[in-house]
Amino acid sequence: MSHVTDMKYLFNRLFSMKNGFNAHKYAVRSYSKDIGKSAPIVNRGKVTPLPPLSEPMPDLPPVVYSTSKSEDVVTEVTVLSNGLRVASEKKFGQFCTAGVVIDSGPRYEVAYPNGICHFLEKLSFGATHKYATRDVMLKELERHGGICDCQGSRDTTVYATSADSKGLEAVTQVLAEVTLRPQLSEEEIESARQAVAFELETLSMRPEQETILMDMIHGAAYKKNTLGLPKICPIENVHKINRNIILNYLKNHYTPDRMVVAAVGVDHEPFVEFVQKYFVDMKPTWHTPDSSTFTPAVDKSIAQYTGGMEQEDCEIPLYPGSDLPELSHVVIGLESCSHGDPDFVATCVLNMMMGGGGSFSAGGPGKGMYTRLYTNVLNRYHWMFNATAYNHAYGDTGLFCVHAASPPARIYDTTIVIARELGNMIGKVGEMELRRAKTQLQSMLLMNLEARPVVFEDVGRQVLATGKRKPPSFFINEIEKITADDITRVARRMLSTRPAVAARGKLANLPSFEEIQSNMTLNNDAPQGRRLNLFRA
Amino acid sequence: MLKVATTLRLISKQGNQVRCLATAVGYKQALVNVPPTRLSVLDNGIRVATEDSGAATATVGLWIDAGSRYENSKNNGVAHFLEHMAFKGTSKRSQTDLELLVENMGAHLNAYTSREQTVFYAKCLANDVSAAVEILADIIQNSSLAEPEIERERGVILREMQDVESNLQEVVFDHLHATAFQGTPLGQTILGPTKNIKKISKADLQNYIKTHYQPARIVLAGAGGVEHEKLVELANKNFSGLKNTVTDVELPHCRYTGSEIRVRDDSMPLAHVAIAVEGAGWTDADNIPLMVANTLIGAWDRSQGGGMNNASFLARAASAGNLCHSFQSFNTCYKDTGLWGIYFVAEPLQLDDMVHNIQSEWMKLCTSVTDSEVLRAKNLLKTNMLLQLDGTTPVCEDIGRQMLCYNRRIPVHELDARIEAVTVQNVRDVCYKYLYDRCPVVAAVGPTEGLTDYSRIRAGMYWLRV
Repeated sequence: MSHVTDMKYLFNRLFSMKNGFNAHKYAVRSYSKDIGKSAPIVNRGKVTPLPPLSEPMPDLPPVVYSTSKSEDVVTEVTVLSNGLRVASEKKFGQFCTAGVVIDSGPRYEVAYPNGICHFLEKLSFGATHKYATRDVMLKELERHGGICDCQGSRDTTVYATSADSKGLEAVTQVLAEVTLRPQLSEEEIESARQAVAFELETLSMRPEQETILMDMIHGAAYKKNTLGLPKICPIENVHKINRNIILNYLKNHYTPDRMVVAAVGVDHEPFVEFVQKYFVDMKPTWHTPDSSTFTPAVDKSIAQYTGGMEQEDCEIPLYPGSDLPELSHVVIGLESCSHGDPDFVATCVLNMMMGGGGSFSAGGPGKGMYTRLYTNVLNRYHWMFNATAYNHAYGDTGLFCVHAASPPARIYDTTIVIARELGNMIGKVGEMELRRAKTQLQSMLLMNLEARPVVFEDVGRQVLATGKRKPPSFFINEIEKITADDITRVARRMLSTRPAVAARGKLANLPSFEEIQSNMTLNNDAPQGRRLNLFRA
Repeated sequence: MLKVATTLRLISKQGNQVRCLATAVGYKQALVNVPPTRLSVLDNGIRVATEDSGAATATVGLWIDAGSRYENSKNNGVAHFLEHMAFKGTSKRSQTDLELLVENMGAHLNAYTSREQTVFYAKCLANDVSAAVEILADIIQNSSLAEPEIERERGVILREMQDVESNLQEVVFDHLHATAFQGTPLGQTILGPTKNIKKISKADLQNYIKTHYQPARIVLAGAGGVEHEKLVELANKNFSGLKNTVTDVELPHCRYTGSEIRVRDDSMPLAHVAIAVEGAGWTDADNIPLMVANTLIGAWDRSQGGGMNNASFLARAASAGNLCHSFQSFNTCYKDTGLWGIYFVAEPLQLDDMVHNIQSEWMKLCTSVTDSEVLRAKNLLKTNMLLQLDGTTPVCEDIGRQMLCYNRRIPVHELDARIEAVTVQNVRDVCYKYLYDRCPVVAAVGPTEGLTDYSRIRAGMYWLRV
C-alpha cells in the first residue's frame, strides 16, 4: 500500500465520520479506478429487509398455541409380533427424542473378551447397510435437526436421537439401521480400537476418578463377575476384540425380546408403524435363514454380592491450574436392593439423606448442604475434599456406596469416618431430615423429568424391566409413604452385608478391611456420633 | 386444532391420510406445539412474563437490566459483588434460615451477573412458586449486606478471580472486551479490578441497588407450572413496594476500536486467540443472518476427529491440516453493539496458517458462500436454538433474556420464519457490512510470537479481487 492510498484512505475515513456513522462509513476501495472499472456498490446500510427483533415480523400466518396441560402424559405400549416393545409418550415442543433401550451391557460379557460394550459405544451410529458411511447418516439426521448419542450402563445400552418431530420416520430408520444393521467394517473397528485406547490413556491422566472407582467398587462387590465386570475395556482386550466377536455378541443380545423402542413427543400409531417397517419387516445383519431355530445364548446368572476389597496404589494426577493437593480416593459399598424391590424407594430416600458432594461447589442454596455427609462429615473434617453417596440399582441387586477423597496422609481417618457414618445409618432418623430428604427426592425426580431425553430413558428402562411405565405420581406417593422405621429397616438390611471397599491413590495409610468392617458394626447401645470426637482437630 | 387432528386420527386408521390433512391445515395456520408466552406490566413497571406448560416443577426468576456496563472505573465490580451477597441473609431471615427454607422445599436458588444483565432465579416444585417469588423479592429488596459478610465475600471474590485466571478462554474474552471497547464501560471486567474489590463498601452496594434495581428495569419470568394470573398477583404482592426513583439511567454508547492485545508467555504450550469485528446490537435484524454466518464457521475440537462431513469448511480444514486444537465462532450482543468473531486454541507454529484459513473463510462468506451451505447452516441453527429449550430453566432463561433484550419474547414460529427468510445474498450482504474491510480486534494469550501481525490481519479483511 503506497502512502498515497494510505492518505486517501485516511481522508475517506475522516470524511465519512464527519457525516455520521449511519452513512456509508468507508468509501469503497477503488484500486481499479485507474483502469476505468467501477467497484461494486456495497450496501453498508440496511441489508436485512426485516423489522428489528424487538418488533414482530409482518404477514406471519396466524398461529394456534398448544395449551393442553400435563393430562395427556400417558405412556402407550405396543408389543409387536416378534416380541419387540414400542413405547411412546406425548410432550410439548417441536422436537422429539426417540431411541432404543437394550438389555445389554458389560454384565453379560462373561463368555466374551470383556470390553465389547465399550467398543459398541464407540462404534455406535457408524456405517450401516443403508447408509454407506457415518457421514451420510449424520447428514440425514441433520436434515431433521437431529443429534444422536449412545450410552451404556452395566446392564443397559441406550441409543438415542433428538430431532424435529416431523422427521420421525427418518429417525426411526436411522435407529433401526444402527442397532440392527451396522456394517462394522474393519476400518471402523480399527478406529474404535484407537478411540478406546485413547480413552484408556486419557482416563489414566485425568484427576477425575469416578469412572475407574465405580468399576473397582463393582468388581469388589460382585467378585468381578456379572455386575462386577468392568465397563472400561481392559487394556489386554483392546487388541483381542474383533468383528466376529462383536457380531456374535450382537446376534445373541440385540434380540427383539431384549429391546424397547421408545419415543417422547410423538404420536403412538405412526411411530408403531415406522418401527414395524424398519425393525421388524427389515431383518438384522446377523439374520440367516435358520434364524427361526436359533436360540440366543445369554448369561442369565443372578448377580451374587460378595463384598471384598480392591485397591490400586498409584499416583493420581492433579487438577491443572488449581491449588488442590494430591488426593487419595476410597469408596465403601453395601448391598442395597434391586429397582423392583419393595425397599427400593426407602433406599433412595436414605441416599438423599446421606447426600454430600464436594467441599467446594458453586451455586446458591439447594445443593443439599444440610445432608448428613455435609453436616456430619464435610463440615467437621476440613481435610476431606469430597464425600458423596450413590445408589446403583439393577434388576436383581443394588449397590449403595459412599465415595470420599482426601490427601493421602488423611486417608485412614477419612475411611474410618465414612465407615462409621455408614454404621450410623441404623441410628435415629430425625423428623426434619427425613421430611427434607423426601421433598428433595420428589423435586429431584420431577426436575430431572423436565428434560425430554430423561423422560425417554425413564420410559425405555421401565418398559424394558417391567413391560409398563409407572408415572412419576406413583413414585411421588411412594416417597411420601416412607417413615423413619423404613429407613432404619433398609439401613439394617444393608449393614448386615459384608462391605465392599475400593481405594485408589497413595494408600500406605489405608486401614485394613477388617478394621473398616468393625467400624461399621456399631454397638446400638453406645451413644453414636460421640466416637468421632477422636478426630476433631 | 390439536383436538381436531387427534379426532381425525382416531377415526382413520391410515396414518398417512391424517398426516396429509395435518399438512393441509399447517398451510394456512401454523400449529405451534408450545404454550404461548404471556406478558403483563405492573403499575410500577415490572414486567411479568410466563410460559405455562402445566408441569409439576417451575423456574421463576428476576432478570434485571443491570450489570458491569452500568458501572464506572470507581465502582466496577459492584454488580458482581451484589450477586455474592444475595444469599447471605436479609432483614427478614438469616443466611441459615434462607438456606434451610430453600433446602426443605427441595428447591434451588442461583444467581449470575453478565455485562448487561443481573439474574436471580429459583427452581422449585410448582406448588412452591409463591414461596420462591417471596424469597426472590426478599433477597433483592432486603438484603442485609452485613459488614462481616462483606468482608468474607471480598476474600471469596479474590479467590474466584484466581479461578478465572486459570480459565484462559475467559481471560482472552476479558482482554478482547478491554481492547475492543477501550475507554468505555463495556471494556471493564465483570469481577472488577482487585483494588475495587478491596474497597467496595456497604454504601456502594446500597447505592447501586438504589439506582439500578428499578422496577421498570426488572422482569419477573416464569416457566413450567406457573399460572400467569397467579404470578402477576404474586408480583403485585411482593414487589409493589418498589418505586421508580431514578427515571433515566444514562447509557452512553460504547465505542468500538479496532485494535489488539497480546500477552506473550512462551512458557505456555498453546496460544489462545480471539479475533472479532464489531457486530450488531441485540435488536438488529442483521443478527439472524450473522448467526447463520456464525454457524457456517462453526465450532470444532480435536476430540471430534476428522468430521469430513462437518458443515463447517474451517472444521474440515482444521482437522485435515492440523491447524488448531479447537475453535469456536461467537456472536456476542450488547444493547447497541456486539462482537462477532472466532476463538481458537493452537500450537505456536500453527497460528499463522490458522489465521489465514479463518480469514479466507470470512472473505468467502462476504463474496461466494453458496446456497446449499447457507441452507445447511440455517437448518443447524434452528436445531441449536430450539433443541436447547428443554426444561423449565432454559425456557425461563430464554424468556427473561429476551424480555430484557427485545422487550418481548419472539414466538417460535417467528424465529423460524426469520431464519427461513435468510438468503445467500442476505448472508453475503450482512457479512460484507460487518466484516469486509473492517478493523478487527485481536486478543491473544500464550506463545503468540507466531501470530500474524496486526497489519497483515487487517490486510486480510479485504480481497483485491471479487
